[in-house]
Amino acid sequence: MESSEFEDALDEWFIESLTAYKDLHVYQLEHPTQVIEWTSGKTVCVAGYGSSKNQLLELRLPLKLFAEENKGLCAERDFKLLHGGFSEGPVGCLRHVPASRLIVTNDGQGTDLQVWDLGGDDSDVIRRTGTVKGRESAPQRGSRIAASPSSSPQVLHGAESSSVQLTHLTSGQSLYKLETDTSDPLNSLQFTSDAVFLAGCSNGRIYMADTRVSAAPQMSPPPASSGQSAVWWTDATADPQQASCRVVRLSSSGHAVVSDLRKLGEAVCQAQLDIHCSSDNVTVSWAPRRNYISVSGFSGVVEIYDTCDWRMELRRVRPLFQHRGHEVSCRQADGCDPVCITAHVWHPERPQTLLSTATDGSVHVWDWVEPDSKGPESKSEPSL
Amino acid sequence: MTGAGQDVGRSCILVSIGGKNIMLDCGMHMGYNDDRRFPDFSYVTQNGRLTDFLDCVIISHFHLDHCGALPYMSEMVGYDGPIYMTHPTKAICPILLEDFRKITVDKKGETNFFTSQMIKDCMKKVVPLNLHQTVQVDDELEIKAYYAGHVLGAAMVYIKVGSESVVYTGDYNMTPDRHLGAAWIDKCRPDILISESTYATTIRDSKRCRERDFLKKVHESIERGGKVLIPVFALGRAQELCILLETFWERMNLKAPIYFSTGMTEKANHYYKLFITWTNQKIRKTFVQRNMFEFKHIKAFDRSYADNPGPMVVFATPGMLHAGQSLQIFKKWAGNEKNMVIMPGYCVQGTIGHKILNGQRKLEMEGRATLDVKLQVEYMSFSAHADAKGIMQLIRMAEPRNMLLVHGEAAKMEFLKGKIEQEFSIDCYMPANGETVTVKTNPSVPVDMSVNLLKREMALGGPLPDPKKPRSMHGTLIMKESSLKLVSSEQALKELGLNEHQLRFTCRVPLQDPHSDSETLHRIYTHLKSLLKGYTIQHLPDGTVMVESIVVKVSSSAEDANAKILLLSWSYQDEDLGSFLSSVLKKGLPKM
Repeated sequence: MESSEFEDALDEWFIESLTAYKDLHVYQLEHPTQVIEWTSGKTVCVAGYGSSKNQLLELRLPLKLFAEENKGLCAERDFKLLHGGFSEGPVGCLRHVPASRLIVTNDGQGTDLQVWDLGGDDSDVIRRTGTVKGRESAPQRGSRIAASPSSSPQVLHGAESSSVQLTHLTSGQSLYKLETDTSDPLNSLQFTSDAVFLAGCSNGRIYMADTRVSAAPQMSPPPASSGQSAVWWTDATADPQQASCRVVRLSSSGHAVVSDLRKLGEAVCQAQLDIHCSSDNVTVSWAPRRNYISVSGFSGVVEIYDTCDWRMELRRVRPLFQHRGHEVSCRQADGCDPVCITAHVWHPERPQTLLSTATDGSVHVWDWVEPDSKGPESKSEPSL
Repeated sequence: MTGAGQDVGRSCILVSIGGKNIMLDCGMHMGYNDDRRFPDFSYVTQNGRLTDFLDCVIISHFHLDHCGALPYMSEMVGYDGPIYMTHPTKAICPILLEDFRKITVDKKGETNFFTSQMIKDCMKKVVPLNLHQTVQVDDELEIKAYYAGHVLGAAMVYIKVGSESVVYTGDYNMTPDRHLGAAWIDKCRPDILISESTYATTIRDSKRCRERDFLKKVHESIERGGKVLIPVFALGRAQELCILLETFWERMNLKAPIYFSTGMTEKANHYYKLFITWTNQKIRKTFVQRNMFEFKHIKAFDRSYADNPGPMVVFATPGMLHAGQSLQIFKKWAGNEKNMVIMPGYCVQGTIGHKILNGQRKLEMEGRATLDVKLQVEYMSFSAHADAKGIMQLIRMAEPRNMLLVHGEAAKMEFLKGKIEQEFSIDCYMPANGETVTVKTNPSVPVDMSVNLLKREMALGGPLPDPKKPRSMHGTLIMKESSLKLVSSEQALKELGLNEHQLRFTCRVPLQDPHSDSETLHRIYTHLKSLLKGYTIQHLPDGTVMVESIVVKVSSSAEDANAKILLLSWSYQDEDLGSFLSSVLKKGLPKM
């Protein structure tokens, strides 16, 4: 693309962004990340996934974003690098242990976990404090990790459904092991309450179990779908009220199914999203306390869907909002792969704020405006 | 370090290199009202004037935290030597210093401060620098300025004394602006690179997002019928923001008028000329394309327009709202909450700009009148600094042997230090205010070599010199006056008129052998001949065996004919072989 064409397209998007976003921040990391993990309401951790030495960074979001009164007087638009450390290998998965300064990582290749101390005010160095051994010796991919929401530092981890275990970080003791008949590679591990968790397999199966009980887990088969060799991703709402906990499953052919946690086998609603290719870094995520689902990893765009529009019958749907910032800002040389989103997260409290990262090392913080409030445009029309 | 170590606010660094003392920047700390705002010059000398203790002073750019204390240093403490800075810095510094002096003395009533005359006298000592031009300060000290970006005229400086060098960055940025390029330096490999690190622990938000914020705020005000005041310094940021608004107005087909105050054009044209010679080709093109202040949507302001109804945007000087037209307009517009003032930069304490940026909503004006500040106040930072990534980029460019970080907080830079040490395998220092850092350098000492010695070394094989394979050689170093010469030992002795000492070792080895002395000697000869193949071994008629130049003799005791004494004798040059022979013979002879 011609330099001026690229600049024009970028300018155009920025002009549109004046009304499409309340706040927008664009950053460039030295190396791209596949992980974004909240370590507090204002801080996130990111980490590189290159083949050799990588950096782990704890970043504080720009103060201007959080200034409520006197927002105009705050000029601070930058990320502040609070803590940094070095990892010998790539980081494929990173989780923060609640109510602590610990994070746990996995290199995306083996099943061992690395434990780190993020550090306090006296130093800005993230230090490795230990290792947690995994069960599997030759997995197809690295372990998924979920940090227990309970007060003691425990992590649930494993690369396959048959090798998931709950380990106490301080003692190294294995507190619980998931026993399944088959060994399915996992795409996600997630706690839905203090002790209940979901293991989302890439073949679409979901295992639900309680770490306090040694009973066999409940297994929910993949939703009926046309693509037999489809890969599935799962996310559950983090609603503390168990009653309204919903689970979404998305396939690599774009089929999205929403179920209630108590009846995983039944679909509450479903939709056909416009997705073509498969990818390693797919994220599907519920917005906190809303009926929105965000999807990324198939292209350089993050898409937000309103599930209130979805029905029992499978229909094509269009996104409520698309964040095209990464796609538009990335100037790729001819012949190179186009930019692709590697991860995105919703802010736990601010309803419209998201962070997204891409293969070119860009990190965006964006506060999007609901298309409704912008004027006569209807919800089913994408805003861009 | 007399400032800028772990302290945001004042830069003043003292460097001693090759016996020369250099002061880098001479800034004022804008947060203090007492003497703490000045650097502590007692680090240079306790006894008054600094002239004899400094070889030169170098100022990186016109920001007050880098040059604000210069007239104080040169005229009140006392310094008469050269002060180096780039041409634009020399032009702009006195204006900012005078403004600053006015605010501090006239408005705040301070007494221990420099006068207008002192500023003028100080500037007379300035020697202007051009980019990439080596300047000889004296026989041994040379300096060179490089483009730093950041603001008009900002430079990074390369300082060299003999074979040792230092690069000081001042403030710089590695991502280009709309009107300023990115800093650039060649692979000069200085012994130390001194870099500002205020933003080393940040990752900067993109320029486009900052601009977006600016446009959004202006647009929102205009839409609700408000007036927007943007106080600016005449050149640089103002030009950039004008271009931005012009483009935006064109695209959105907006009708509200945009003005720039008349005070700007005169100053602007003056600086424009300076600017054009200073910037690179690419930036120059932007300005050549659009003639300075010839915009379609932006017109010259007349003071009567301030009372016109309806929305408008006005760029006015001075930048901190401390006097002049921008203050006049501010007074008129402050009472309406639909209006907005956008401050695009830092404001000095004591100015209205500083007060409103600190949230003050009631201002005391002349004659005890109070002004209610109801308009929206927006603080936007457009200044370009190097962040964590930028510092790594600069190190990659310059390839220093050691790194020194100033202007940041040590506890928060351990990770950056580790990153630098790991990626580049160089030491990284972060001194505090008042701390001295000593950095060991490996200066190469050039030495002449005598032809004879060179020939001898070449005979040993291999090309000379080979930078990939350093070689050690034996010789004698003669230092005469300021020349260094390496010669062979013989030649050195000859020149000194001395005789070479000869060192000979003798060794007695007892041996039991029931033969005559001459037979024993022959046995030794045969034994050594079989053992030391490749060596010259001779059995001489005078009753000795020679191994190379080592002499072996046999004698026997008077009491016992079988108790032989072997006498070995060798010179210092044959020490290795001699020791070997004695240990061999101590083991005795093989049986016949």
